[in-house]
Amino acid sequence: MKNRQPLFHVVKREGASPARQLLAYVAAVALALAVGAVLLAVQGVEPVTFYRQLITMGIPGSRYPWRAVENFIKLFVPLLIVSMALSLAFKMRFWNIGGEGQFIMGAFWAGFAAMKLGESLPRPAMVLVMALCGALGGGLYGVFVAALKVKWGTNETLLTLMLNYIALYFLQYFAETKTDWNFFLDPGSARPKFAKFPASAQMITIPIGPFNLNLSLLIAAALCVLLYIYLNYTKRGYEIAVVGDSPNTARYAGMKVGKIVIRTIFLSAALIGLAGAFQVSSAGILSASVTNDVGWTGIVVAWLAKLNTAGIVVASLLITVLQFGCQTASTTYPSIDANFANLLQGVILFIVLAADFFTRFQLVRTRKEAAK
Amino acid sequence: MEEQQYAIEMRGICKSFGSVAANNNINLNVKSGEILALLGENGSGKTTLMNMLSGIYKPDSGIILVDGQEVAINSPEDAKKLGIGMVHQHFKLVDVFSAADNIWLGDDKSGLVLKKERYGVIRDMARKFGFDIDPRKKVYNMAVSEKQTLEIVKVLYYGAKIIILDEPTAVLTVQETARLFDVLRRMKAEGHAIIIITHKLNEVLEISDRVAILRKGEYITTVDTSSTNEQQLTEFMVGRKVELNIDRPVVDKTRPLLEIRDLTIKNDEGAVAIDKVNFYIRGGEILGVAGIAGCGQKELCEAIAGLRPIESGMMIHKGDNIVGLPPKAILEKGISMSFIPEDRLGMGLAPSMSVTDNMLLKKYDQARGPFVDRKTGRAEARQVIQELEIVTPSTETPVRRLSGGNVQKVLLGREIKAGPNVIVTAYPVRGLDINSSYAIYDILNRQKKDGVGILFVGEDLDVMIDLCDKIMVLCHGRVMGVVHAHKTSKEELGLMMTGALDLTNKYEDKPAGIARDSRIEETGEVEK
Amino acid sequence: MNDPIQVLTLFLFNIVLVNIPLLYGTVGEIVVEKSGSLNLGVEGTMAIGAMFGYLAGCAANSLAAGLLVSFLTAGLCGLLFAVLTVSLQANQNVTGLTITTFGLGLYFFVGKGLGERWPAMTASDGLVKGYSALEIPGLSKLPVIGKALFSHNALVYLGIAIALLVWWYLNFTKTGLRLRAVGENPGAADSVGINTLLYKYVHLIAGSGIMGLGGFYMALYMSGSFEGSNCWINGYGWIAIALVIFANWNPVLAVLGTLVFGFFNTLQIYAGPLAGAFPGPLGWLSAIPPQLYKALPFMITAIVLIASSVRKREGSGQPAALGLNYFREER
Repeated sequence: MKNRQPLFHVVKREGASPARQLLAYVAAVALALAVGAVLLAVQGVEPVTFYRQLITMGIPGSRYPWRAVENFIKLFVPLLIVSMALSLAFKMRFWNIGGEGQFIMGAFWAGFAAMKLGESLPRPAMVLVMALCGALGGGLYGVFVAALKVKWGTNETLLTLMLNYIALYFLQYFAETKTDWNFFLDPGSARPKFAKFPASAQMITIPIGPFNLNLSLLIAAALCVLLYIYLNYTKRGYEIAVVGDSPNTARYAGMKVGKIVIRTIFLSAALIGLAGAFQVSSAGILSASVTNDVGWTGIVVAWLAKLNTAGIVVASLLITVLQFGCQTASTTYPSIDANFANLLQGVILFIVLAADFFTRFQLVRTRKEAAK
Repeated sequence: MEEQQYAIEMRGICKSFGSVAANNNINLNVKSGEILALLGENGSGKTTLMNMLSGIYKPDSGIILVDGQEVAINSPEDAKKLGIGMVHQHFKLVDVFSAADNIWLGDDKSGLVLKKERYGVIRDMARKFGFDIDPRKKVYNMAVSEKQTLEIVKVLYYGAKIIILDEPTAVLTVQETARLFDVLRRMKAEGHAIIIITHKLNEVLEISDRVAILRKGEYITTVDTSSTNEQQLTEFMVGRKVELNIDRPVVDKTRPLLEIRDLTIKNDEGAVAIDKVNFYIRGGEILGVAGIAGCGQKELCEAIAGLRPIESGMMIHKGDNIVGLPPKAILEKGISMSFIPEDRLGMGLAPSMSVTDNMLLKKYDQARGPFVDRKTGRAEARQVIQELEIVTPSTETPVRRLSGGNVQKVLLGREIKAGPNVIVTAYPVRGLDINSSYAIYDILNRQKKDGVGILFVGEDLDVMIDLCDKIMVLCHGRVMGVVHAHKTSKEELGLMMTGALDLTNKYEDKPAGIARDSRIEETGEVEK
Repeated sequence: MNDPIQVLTLFLFNIVLVNIPLLYGTVGEIVVEKSGSLNLGVEGTMAIGAMFGYLAGCAANSLAAGLLVSFLTAGLCGLLFAVLTVSLQANQNVTGLTITTFGLGLYFFVGKGLGERWPAMTASDGLVKGYSALEIPGLSKLPVIGKALFSHNALVYLGIAIALLVWWYLNFTKTGLRLRAVGENPGAADSVGINTLLYKYVHLIAGSGIMGLGGFYMALYMSGSFEGSNCWINGYGWIAIALVIFANWNPVLAVLGTLVFGFFNTLQIYAGPLAGAFPGPLGWLSAIPPQLYKALPFMITAIVLIASSVRKREGSGQPAALGLNYFREER
């Protein structure tokens, strides 16, 4: 009895090969799709047809294929920017799960600008002002937490979580309160309902034939490149990397860790706010459910991509396809709805989370002579 | 039975972490009713070895026998069941619990429900062992010595037959130590087997029956305490003098570059780590710092680099007070500090970042414009890789992937590249092979010739005697004296390290560690 | 309805009735967090417990079956969390969020999939009876508080009993003591021979199971009517996480906290009637936007969180090792 030895022994692994990681992801997606197929079959839905519709997202054969692409982009851009922004915070091991709240604040202040100044400013200036308001609104909402964390070590995970809901009900208040001063609402409607933005506050689109290219996609792409450069080539990005890797070493090198955390979290939250501004500007209207859970999904994307910029682009694309595809595919099946995407997403993540263990640790067989 | 059975016996124990062998083929045994002292320098693998008995680590190979039965200790739970109890050097206590609850945690005899009586039970139990503890006192309100006492009571309470104490006396007062020894003797009389890790030779001689000595992860020998003395133990511990043929160039020395006067620093636990220490470094000399496990070296290095607040005292660099300056300002004055911790990656390096990036750590800010100048960094990385013969796939490999000593070559290489005038370096050759070590000595010597003042915190006395100009010996945070390296011997250093010899006041007119041409008096910086 | 006493009674009655699911979620999360794990999957865990508990309850026509299955299915979520974060050292935040995403996804998938086959609660007299109010003899005859506190369904009493039991378990039993040690300092717990792995597993499963019971309650409260757009849990899981902090990780304070949070929660519906019933002292209530009542629990919690970080430890019930994975050989 006393000689009982476990068969394996867990040891930390030094560095993981990218190939192994990639394999884990492909396997995770494949396995999740297989699990999903079984579930679909149980529901009496033909999995192959469903998946085909999911992947094509209803674009071929549609009467307005370009409209579908435009809608896809409207989903994709906020997720991409938010995931990027969150990766900044996560690089420093700052658990900002307040993406929802910062996004709402960005959207709210952008909406504020739109309703107040929309009539008086030309379109490009208006969109710019909205972007700035959104960034500032989101940024300040986030930097507040960073300051508390630096000063007193307040738990940022829990605090940002609380702030999400405070922001949500703040926005709801404006969505549901019908009074004279509430300029957010449509005066023509008896029930409280957000008013459409003035035309100048609508996101600029670039017509390419029948397709209207949303400017925010270009900006998001540019942001990806800029952020990549920022993180990898600038002094500020260098500081982020060191602080995230080893705060002790950062202090040793004479860096002001608190200042770096505050600056970076402001940037992160401001970008999320910017995404919120783009979202409402593209939609042309505020909404109480403006975030579309992008603050949560962004965490998942950033984590899936291991905070790697290129990975974030791929992962957010994948998740958007999953969500948008489910949405369109589910229109033909009454028993399936867009939430099926969440189910698949969950399964993918569980598998990746589990597989990740084997890239970080390895099992070593307990040696015989010790066990005997 | 022709010989008494050992309570515990370890045979051929090997354990390595990554590429570092912490224990190599160690044999150890202790009988019931016996106190075994485990003696060895810093990093000789004592704690690692004991952690294999307490179930924290598992040996890579080798066997452990308890009462002659081979056992597998997979967890602390197994250890406890086998009657092995360990008092760890770093307390394993739950801060928000009371003393009694910390003990009660591991109690297997009492029932499910917590009763108020447990306080009385614990108090009585502690009294029986000769300790007076307040069972309701919360750990976060306790002084260091109280926590230590609690740890000891805890193990005693669990009724361990084999008791391991990792430097139990380091934080106890003389009276408390005496009382502890009384307890240990009584335990011994009751038939317990006791292993005590300590560096204090007088304690070893006072309390133990036999002494086992480890050196650099190797088992040296076990001797009967009655047939040995401080001299012999020191020799076992530090080994015989080995000729190394390290150069010691003679260089014109400058006036003191860095002077430390009456410096007192506390450690993380709040105990005094450096106690009124005086020393100075001149340009063109290497001052060695010798001392055993955690006698304040780390805290001293951190204080000089501006990373740890000091309690009192002065640190004067070229006549300027550097006390209270931020780390960056100290860096800019040309004071470089590099510390190789036991895991090699803790301080000074960003392990997930590339060699190039680590080269830039202290000067990334100097480049013009918003970008990090990786071109220069890469060039320097390449240069350092070549000069120090660092084995790495490329300059872009994350430092944590490098093997063994290559990591610390990167660290030291960077420090020297920065062109400092004072280098503080702790354990720069820890874990390095001979050739790499010599490469590092060469580098240090070249710096010395360029007029740099070097503080060399080392482990290997042979090296220090050959490499350093002077050696300062620390024992539990106090200076035991500063000696000329070419005039001293390993035995003398060993005796000083263990506190058996104090040379600070050998010359009454010139206390050790204070320069005659000090700039402190001259600049009038005496008053803070 | 305009009788002031009746309005007040109903208001108090609903504070208890509507918010006890919160208590389940909170107590479950306290058990989980005391083991050192921050599980953000409460919402999803409750949704899964609700869905499967309800379906099982209908199928077996029995309240007990519903309770059992909701506990077990939610417990499976806890097991999943334990496997991923304890054994496989995965990040706790991401794992928790994933459980919520997955749980809600599964909830809607099952609900939608049943479509026409969805069982109505009214068809199961076992559930209807089980959920009907139990008047406590004597006490329920008291004016106002008799109805408000002592005329509830069995799950209300069960929830409070569980909270008290967990409180007793945490503070007055040795396993509770050991559990707290695991959450505070797993290294110390480990060194005295406590099987930290086992403790984390057991309490993650049990705590999640308790959350599931809350979900089941919610299903019954909603009369088992499935809506395609809104989950029964409707954010209770997130409020529960806030309430854990508000209650300072103490199940008894969680009961009080549930009533405080519930007070605001219920006020958003009863502000109008109360203002009507007591126009003098409470007339101003109707002027306060209902969203403020919804946000207040989170605001209070945020303030508590900040204040406790300023004041630092002493007296805080937050486990020191909350959210940190434990690996014995870490040096």
